[in-house]
Amino acid sequence: MAEIAQDGGGGRKKGGKVRSKKMSTRIDFTPMVDLGFLLITFFMLTTTLAKPNILALVMPEKDIKLEDVEPVKESKVLTLLLGADDKVYWYEGITDAKLDSTDYAAEGLRSVILNKMDRVKEQFGLQTYKRKNKEGVEEEFNDGSYINVIIKPMKDSRYKNLVDALDEMAICKVRYYVILDVSKLEEQFVKNPAGGLKFNVEEQVEAATN
Amino acid sequence: MPKHKPKRGSPLVDMTAMTDVAFLLLTFFMLTAKMKPTETVVIDTPSSISETKLPDAGTLTIFVDPEGRIFLDMVGNHTRFSLIKEISDAHSLGLSQQDMVTFSNLGMFGVPRNQLGSYIREDVAGRAEFKVEGIPVDTADINKSELADWVHRARLAQFRMKQDGKVTDEYVIVVKADKNTPYPAVQKVINTLTDINVNKFNLITSMEGAEKKE
Repeated sequence: MAEIAQDGGGGRKKGGKVRSKKMSTRIDFTPMVDLGFLLITFFMLTTTLAKPNILALVMPEKDIKLEDVEPVKESKVLTLLLGADDKVYWYEGITDAKLDSTDYAAEGLRSVILNKMDRVKEQFGLQTYKRKNKEGVEEEFNDGSYINVIIKPMKDSRYKNLVDALDEMAICKVRYYVILDVSKLEEQFVKNPAGGLKFNVEEQVEAATN
Repeated sequence: MPKHKPKRGSPLVDMTAMTDVAFLLLTFFMLTAKMKPTETVVIDTPSSISETKLPDAGTLTIFVDPEGRIFLDMVGNHTRFSLIKEISDAHSLGLSQQDMVTFSNLGMFGVPRNQLGSYIREDVAGRAEFKVEGIPVDTADINKSELADWVHRARLAQFRMKQDGKVTDEYVIVVKADKNTPYPAVQKVINTLTDINVNKFNLITSMEGAEKKE
């Protein structure tokens, strides 16, 4: 606290001249600093400096005609059905599809995707595609296996599941992925994996465009 | 008798420099930071490795809380004013000039159109108490969907502002949903957006330590 140091005031001699008291004031700045830091903390907590991160999403247009869609080799397709309780059901291709399930851990979904990419690479080799290089010039690159992933979140999955799946796409550098709606046949497939998937193009298209 | 004299009254350290630093930091924060917008609901976004930052352009944010309620917020007072005027005229809401000005300064809102007037006329405490139901989104008929109407008109309003030179960019559409939001709620939002031909939008995620492969 501020103190006033008195010196020369004590010990007044009796009968002598009255000496003037010399007083020096020293103010302690500690409370001022406290106030300063309090205000800083207030501003730090109530304002935002950091911008939130974003994950860009591009959806296919609503009315795509079937004739405009390029067919994809069945063996390159991996379908992920995002289910309840953070479970991911997946199957490859459309004929003789076998349902398997995994979770979002690194050993789970990521290893499934990477495994698929390795197998597609073995089968089809490296593929060329055009991309802008570091200088922004469009060039042909030849360095990866390109699988097509279809992400179909089911009714009982939560939003986090979708973001995790999209995250895995980024981590594994999957170039071609799309988010579609689950079709009724697939819902039945999940309930009864042994029954097999009866793939029906019309129903898939219906689910995709509605 | 002890030889040392007890030191009294004089602080050991001169605090002046510390004060200078403290006020410098304070001034920095006051000038460079923006106030966090008052959030009607708390939304905990899922994390992702994405490090892309939200662009500086005006954003139109669609919030989806864990119960599936939808809220909207758009940046830009002029655009908001123009938007609310249009909505009030088109749907005969009868909002006064004062209401429209209040709306322009309001942040996030999530009430159906018929409750919009009463929501705006409440004071700050009243709005906090208001039972917000979220903006209705009806996927059966896109023409009746209130969310689609808001987003579509907001984009047009911003586009007109851009043509008049009052703003530099069109709206960037951003979806901020809670990690526990059931997927069907988000699916309705995404379907609404694709129905009005918004095919590119962004999802807000929080930072996650990236364990990149390779």
